[in-house]
Order: sequence, then C-alpha cells, then structure tokens
Amino acid sequence: MDWLNDLIIEPIEVYFNNFLLYLPTLTSAVIIFILGIIVSVLLSKLLSRILRFSKLDRVSQKLNIPEALLKGGIKETLSGIIGKIFGWTLFILFTLISLQAMKLKPLELLVERLVLYLPYIFTALLIMLFGYLLGNFIGRAVLITSVNAGIKTAGIISRFAKYAIFFFALSVALEQLGIGKDTVLVTFAITFGGVVLALAISFGLGGKDIAKEFMEKRLNGEKDEIDYL
Amino acid sequence: MKEISLEKALVEQVERIGSADILVGIPSYNNAGTIGHVTRATQAGLAKYFPNYKAVLLNSDGGSNDQTMDVVRNTNIETSDTLLITHSSKTFLKITTPYHGIPGKGSAFRTIFETAKRLNVKACCVVDSDLRSITPEWIELLLKPVLESNFDYVAPMYLRHKFDGTITNGIVYPLTRALYGQRIRQPIGGEFGFSGSLAKFFLKQDVWESDVARFGIDIWMTTTAIANSFKVCQSFLGAKIHDAKDPGVDLSNMLFQVVDSTFELMAQYIPVWHNVTESKPVPTFGFQYAVGLEPIAVNVDRLIEKYNMGVKDLKPIWEMFLPGDILATLSRLQHASKNDFHFSDEVWVKIVFNFALAFKKKVIHREHLLKSLTPLYLGRTASFIMEVWDSNADEVEQRLEQLCLAFEKEKLNIIDHWS
Repeated sequence: MDWLNDLIIEPIEVYFNNFLLYLPTLTSAVIIFILGIIVSVLLSKLLSRILRFSKLDRVSQKLNIPEALLKGGIKETLSGIIGKIFGWTLFILFTLISLQAMKLKPLELLVERLVLYLPYIFTALLIMLFGYLLGNFIGRAVLITSVNAGIKTAGIISRFAKYAIFFFALSVALEQLGIGKDTVLVTFAITFGGVVLALAISFGLGGKDIAKEFMEKRLNGEKDEIDYL
Repeated sequence: MKEISLEKALVEQVERIGSADILVGIPSYNNAGTIGHVTRATQAGLAKYFPNYKAVLLNSDGGSNDQTMDVVRNTNIETSDTLLITHSSKTFLKITTPYHGIPGKGSAFRTIFETAKRLNVKACCVVDSDLRSITPEWIELLLKPVLESNFDYVAPMYLRHKFDGTITNGIVYPLTRALYGQRIRQPIGGEFGFSGSLAKFFLKQDVWESDVARFGIDIWMTTTAIANSFKVCQSFLGAKIHDAKDPGVDLSNMLFQVVDSTFELMAQYIPVWHNVTESKPVPTFGFQYAVGLEPIAVNVDRLIEKYNMGVKDLKPIWEMFLPGDILATLSRLQHASKNDFHFSDEVWVKIVFNFALAFKKKVIHREHLLKSLTPLYLGRTASFIMEVWDSNADEVEQRLEQLCLAFEKEKLNIIDHWS
C-alpha cells in the first residue's frame, strides 16, 4: 500500500502541513480585511459627524456647494460626501494591505501594479463624477429651455444632451485608464458624428414643417400681443 | 462694487452744466420711431409745468443702430407744428450718451442716476422710449409729487388692456402688495419719478452686475424705495400705449429676470415684510378717467398647450419643492378640456410662494427653478384670460383684488417657513 501513501496521503499531508503553516498568514490577512471594513465604516461616520459639528455644511452652504451638487443630482451633504470618500479610501487601503499580507507572489505583484495604477483610477473617477454632474445640469437646462420654446420632443433632446455628456466623460475616463484608447475615442467620434448627421437629416427632411413653424413662431412673435410686463 | 464708467463726453458736458434742478432720463435701444415723440412730450412738459427750473434731458442708449440718438439730438418742440407752447423753460439742455455695463435697462438707469448725482438734481424721472401715449402731463405727474409734496418715489398708474401686464397682475403686484403692504398698482411700470437723494441711495447699492441691470431694475427700484422707508406715492398717467413688443424678447428670460429680482429682494428684506400684516393704499396723484384701449390678440390654446408640455416634462423638477396636492391639481388640469381649464387663485398663490421658498433654500439652480415656472405662469395666464374674457376693466380690477387678498392670506401662512 506504499503507492497509496506516496500518491495520495503524503501529498495531502504536505498540502495540509503547508496550509497549517500558511493559516496564520491567511488569518492575519482576513483579520486585516475585516478590521478594514469596521475601521473604514466607523471612521467614515466619525469624520462626517466631526465635520458636521465643525459647521462645515454651513460654510459649504455659504459657498453654494450644496447647490452645485444638487445641480448634478447629488442630495448628500458635503460632510457626508467627504466621510464616504474617506471611508472608501480606507477600505481600499486595508484591502491592499490584507492582500499583501497573504505573501503570495502573484498577489504581491498585482497589488504593486494596482498601487501604481491608483492615480489613474482616481483621475478617471473624478472625470466620471464631473461628467455626471455636468450631464445632469446640462440635461435639465436643455429640458427647461426646450419646453419653454414649445419643442414637443424636449424630453428626448434633453436626454440626448445628458447621455452624450455621460458617454463623453466615460470615453475620456477609459482613455485615462488606458482601456482601448483609440478604439473608445474613434467609437465616440463616429457615434456622435453619426447621431448629429442623422438628426440634421431627419430635421431637414422629416421635420421641415416643424422647422418652418418654429421659425415662423420665432420671427412673428408667435401671434400673441400680450405685453407681459 | 465695480465703479461706473461714463463716456468722457458726458462727463465733460455734466461738468460744464454744473448743477440742475431736474433730470429726465430716457433709456433707449433702437427706438428711432418713437423716441422723437417722447423727447417732444418731455420738453413740452418741462416748459409748461417747470418753466422756472433748470432741466436736463439725458438719453442713455444701449448702442442703437437706427439713429435713435440722432433723433433725440435733432428733436425740438420749436420745430414741431403740433405743439403750441407759450411757456419757455429757464434752461433746457439735452444730452445723449451710450451707457456701459451689462446690456439692459438697469445699466441705462445707472448712468442716469450717476448723472443725477453729479448734477445734484432735486428731482428726477425716467420714461420709456417706446411710448406712444406719453403727454407733457406725464412729466408733471412724475416730478411734481417730488418737488412740491416731498415724496421720494413716484410709481406710475395706467389704464391697460385687461390682457396686458400679466407678469405685473399675476405675480409682481399682488406679491409686492402682500409682502410690503403698499398698494402700488404698477411696481414695474417703466416710468418713475424720484428724488435726488433716492437716486444717490440707488447708486450706492451693489446690484449692477445682477439681473437688476436688466429687466429687474423696475421691481428693484420700487422695493428698495418701500423697504427703506422712502416716501412713496403713485400718479395716474392715463393709458399706456407703446411700440409693438420685440418678438425676439424671450418670455422665459423676462419672467426669470423679474421674478429673480423679486425673490432676491424678498430674501433680502425678510425683517421688513415679516412685520407687515395688511396692505394699505398709497397716495395717488392725477385725475382718473376711462379711455378706450387697443384690442390685444391672445392665443389661449397655445398657452394651454405649453402648460401641458410643461407638466409632461417638468413635473419631476417641481416634485422637488411643490406639495403633493398642488402637483395632483396640476396633473388634473393637464387632462382637463379647455372649458374646464381653471387654475384657481389658491393654487397659483401656493405655487408662487413655494417657488420663492425653493429659491431661498437653493433647492436647484435658480435659473432652472425660475425658468421652470414659465409653463405654470402660462397656464395661469390662459385660465385668467378665459375667466375675464367678457369682463370690463372694473370687473377685472375686482378680480385682481381677490387674487391680492389670496396672496395676503397665504403670506401669513408661510411666514414661519421663512424664519
């Protein structure tokens, strides 16, 4: 039965021994990870509370920061946002530390590359956030202006404006991350150009009556003689 | 505050004149067709009613390209066959100048205020350059309360067609009256008289880079005069007929600028209007009479159509600050037939106050907020026009009185939200 011992039991024993030897390392990594979750949640809330008590939100109101965030559809207070960003940063840091604590070569290499890649991720996230805020703001402005101009497709036009900005921000962010650099840009250019051309043709051919009516309304004062003031 | 920049020629002319008793300001932009009549009426009014005063007429122009300034320079009552003036003024001088700053009526007024200050005038008045119905008596009625009765601010009072002045009738008059307790019928009338000291007070305010520099100037002047306890009155000027409105002027922008200034002042003067519990009439000068008014064409169907489009697309924005019962009413109206389209005073008043509160709380960007009011305003205007279609002028005034009382009542309910 030596073959059974050589082929099965001994490798299992070796694997088990290695696992036992590795267990403290893995345990410490898991503990660091769990600790990271707890610490990041607690410190995030603590920081938000400290900032709230230090009247940061009042100062931010004076600087019209909540207004700017609302323009982009974000209802969170500034202290809440800073707390959350701090919490997520801590969580990412603890995750990286716990991965390194595993002392596995491929993971160590991955973490090292990830750390070097972090600034690009951060920049890409900032671009996406800016694109999101700007897209919502422009989308709403286009919607209101189109409704007031009496354009029946106001909703479609505003959504187009909003998603065009989102898509543009996404393409710039992806370029920042080095993902399909040229492909993304070319795709964006072709799509955007195509949509604009399609709109121009459809408005010119299919919507010539609407265009005529719109221009007539603009030039003839829309037939009302009310002096609103 | 950014210093005002005056044309070198204007500064030199003012220095040569030294001082004056009266200044009449005429802001203009491409009004060559009407400004000649306004200039003649002004000159005749000064000659007839103020012969013993040294008077200056200042045309503050926004860069006209139709010889507006030339018309002012070349217009003289001596050349007119239609006027017989037996009086001649002590001194009458005319100045035309382009103004600097943000293009708009407010910037033109700023130049007029600055000139009034430099000339140290006792009384000043401003009249629009597109007026067709101005008479020499307007100048008397705008200046005399200042010169002889020590009033600081004279607002105009006109007879207007029942469909005209819908921003004034629907928002500005009832809101200003409810807030500050003074029944000034035309707070954004366009023609005003004021004392030299009030002109200096206006100049000191840091508002010249805001919407006050555009369409907001009228409500700003009226509110500033009331809120700062200047002596206020109004003068009945008769019918107001002016040039056809510029079709290029966007209603949404106009509404935004006027309401923006009104709400901004509302937030600024909270301590003033918090203590006001009722409104009272202001002293009124001039003999009141009835006149026939030119008919006005209105396309009610289009107003309702724009309202419906607004409810369809802008409701998610209104949901951020309008109460649920108001939103439900707006949705119900969207599906109503033209005959059942009734936008009640109570709903309208609540909408205006909720917009004002959202403006103060900065719920969304102010331009988005106030421009989203346009479809609601058009819906309310359509409903009001249909309601008073067969009413005479007195009946319309009584109907507006009801609206004003609704504003005054609602104001008492919302005061706590503003604390």
